[in-house]
Amino acid sequence: MKKYLLAAGALCVLGTNVALAHITLETQEASVGSSYKAVLRVPHGCEGKATTAVRVQIPEGVIAVKPMPKPGWMLQIKKGKYEKSYQLYGETLTTGVKEVDWSGGNLPDEFYDEFVFRASLAADLPAGQMLYFPVVQECGDAADRWIEIPAAGQDEDALESPAPGIKLLPKK
Amino acid sequence: MIFCWRAPSGRATISCHEGMNAAQSSTTIRMRTGLLAWLVAALMAIGVLAMPGRAFAHAALVATDPADGAVLAQSPARFSLTFSEPVSPLVLTLVRPDGSQLALTSFRLNDQTVEIDNPETLKSGTHVLSWRVVSADGHPVGGSALFSIGAPSAAPVAGEAVDWTLRAAIWAARLFLYAGLFLGVGGAFALALLTGDVRRGRRFVAAALLLGLVAAPVSLGLQGLDGLGAPLARFATPAVWKAALETSFVWTVVVGLIALGLALLSLAGPPGLRKLSASAALLCVGGALAASGHASAAEPQWLTRPLVFLHGAAIAFWVGALAPLGLALRREPAEAKVFLRRFSRAIPPVVILLAASGIVLATIQVQVPAALINTAYGRLLLLKLALLLFLFTLAAVNRWTLTAPAEAGDTEVQRRLVRSIGIEVVIVLAIFGVAAGWRFTPPPRALAIAAAQPVSIHIHTLEAMADLSITPGHAGAVVASMVIMTGDFGPLDAKQVTLVLSKPDSGIEPIKRPARKPGDGTWRVDNLVIPLPGRWNARLDILVSDFEAVKIEAPIDIRSD
Repeated sequence: MKKYLLAAGALCVLGTNVALAHITLETQEASVGSSYKAVLRVPHGCEGKATTAVRVQIPEGVIAVKPMPKPGWMLQIKKGKYEKSYQLYGETLTTGVKEVDWSGGNLPDEFYDEFVFRASLAADLPAGQMLYFPVVQECGDAADRWIEIPAAGQDEDALESPAPGIKLLPKK
Repeated sequence: MIFCWRAPSGRATISCHEGMNAAQSSTTIRMRTGLLAWLVAALMAIGVLAMPGRAFAHAALVATDPADGAVLAQSPARFSLTFSEPVSPLVLTLVRPDGSQLALTSFRLNDQTVEIDNPETLKSGTHVLSWRVVSADGHPVGGSALFSIGAPSAAPVAGEAVDWTLRAAIWAARLFLYAGLFLGVGGAFALALLTGDVRRGRRFVAAALLLGLVAAPVSLGLQGLDGLGAPLARFATPAVWKAALETSFVWTVVVGLIALGLALLSLAGPPGLRKLSASAALLCVGGALAASGHASAAEPQWLTRPLVFLHGAAIAFWVGALAPLGLALRREPAEAKVFLRRFSRAIPPVVILLAASGIVLATIQVQVPAALINTAYGRLLLLKLALLLFLFTLAAVNRWTLTAPAEAGDTEVQRRLVRSIGIEVVIVLAIFGVAAGWRFTPPPRALAIAAAQPVSIHIHTLEAMADLSITPGHAGAVVASMVIMTGDFGPLDAKQVTLVLSKPDSGIEPIKRPARKPGDGTWRVDNLVIPLPGRWNARLDILVSDFEAVKIEAPIDIRSD
């Protein structure tokens, strides 16, 4: 009997874990003024449905974005104007990638996958704070939007669909 | 939580019956020809045209201290309410955890903030700070904020405190107004058209008219007090009278005053005008009753308003004649014969009219027989019917057994007739008392309408605001309708809106429903079932753009019926 209870308990705990699994970034810290390899971890589909597209919004201050192509997925970038200009290796950047879309794929709910892009974090990003990358996960008609950013003082755990984020560290 | 005064919290709905749009009252008039009727129609039409449009903007609560839902460690020394524009408080009440109420009378206005002193140290548990204010546009707005000391307890049930002094005053004023209109105006009519040469009872009729002239404006002011839920002490406040003037009862008072005035004219004015002004006054009594009240407000209006008009005029005709007739029979029995003959010839059709209109109106109001017993309105109706039965019996005996010998000059029978008429007048007064009691009991018809009313809230944050209404506003199958705007009243073209209803204290999982756009600028959730009454938390998840969502939430009270 005890065994069953334990098993049931374990299942419960595991079950909750799965349900709570959000889209997250593998590396959760990075220094400002350095390059950052973002690995978006997609642990499941939208309520059981297979993921067909992953779209990520690039926040201000993240420049020179280059996404990694993925077999079976169509890769698109949307470019736009930055709010201000950034210096990178002696070059002045005023426009760049604002959104990266991987679409047309099929990632069943049972499987796990990662979506990668590389970027530079501007040196004037505020160290010590969080930087969020809102993600829309599409599963055919359905969508999960990992776009919630905690308000000042709000606990990230209280959010239903938090945007993946990293903690900005001081410049090395 | 904010609700507009016209929005349906139970109280508002009930007080709104007599606040129906006065525009409807002009339909009353078509019934009777006659110059005066047209004159009154023209007067009313002018009044309707002159009535200012209701202002839509009114004060909204911006913040409260303690905040709604806050849990405080200690009893606060003061409370504050901040509104979107300067306001003037009408009623501020604190409901303690045990449901008892404390009137908050010490407050200061500080620009748009009302600072209220807390007169006592609050015990632990959940309190409700209930407020009703009037904004610069004269529009009363009410709402409440919940906060707890120590730890939250079950939210106290803020039983509607009944101001019995005010109720008694309203009832008495209404009774006197009826006496003025029916005994006074009806009496003047009888004196002018039925009595022949006998002019007994003039003093009685004049007294009734004067009583009515005083009771009419007093009733209006009391109506204003009741509409705002303000105590009797605020009778002279401009806001009270402003509120009263916005109700349709003002038409009852205006037309009633015209009736009383015309009746006085017929009593004391030139003899040439006597019959004309008395007839016009009688018509105005019908018009005054048809202008407001439960019965006139009922649908179908084309039927109810004319019926109330006929009912009122018939009462005045019958009841008004009683006192002069009784007095004439007692003092000058010989001369009273003409009067008695005219009255007894005219009365059967009048009573039939009276009874028929009464039956139709009562059927419309009560709807189902069970409501006669289940509702206060129904019980008052039964009481009135019992009194009426008694009255009709007396009247029938008078008419068919006493009248003929009395006309023939039998003094013994004349004396009996006088006594019987005296009793009739007393019963009539009792019936007026019962009818005045209806002022406080919404008819079953209105209760059914109230149950179907939506419950609405206005959620306002910096990022977005929304008007959410749930129809009907009680547990069960409902439809939710939302209008979304930006925080500064601009258009907000949301990509998606999701309604999330939760009741954390009930153990029910949040109900999450995507809303759809029917194309009229609103968002709707159909086929929604709210399983439990009580205080729910309504959250709107508004997807502003692909990567940006706004969540706004507020409590909403779902009724149980």
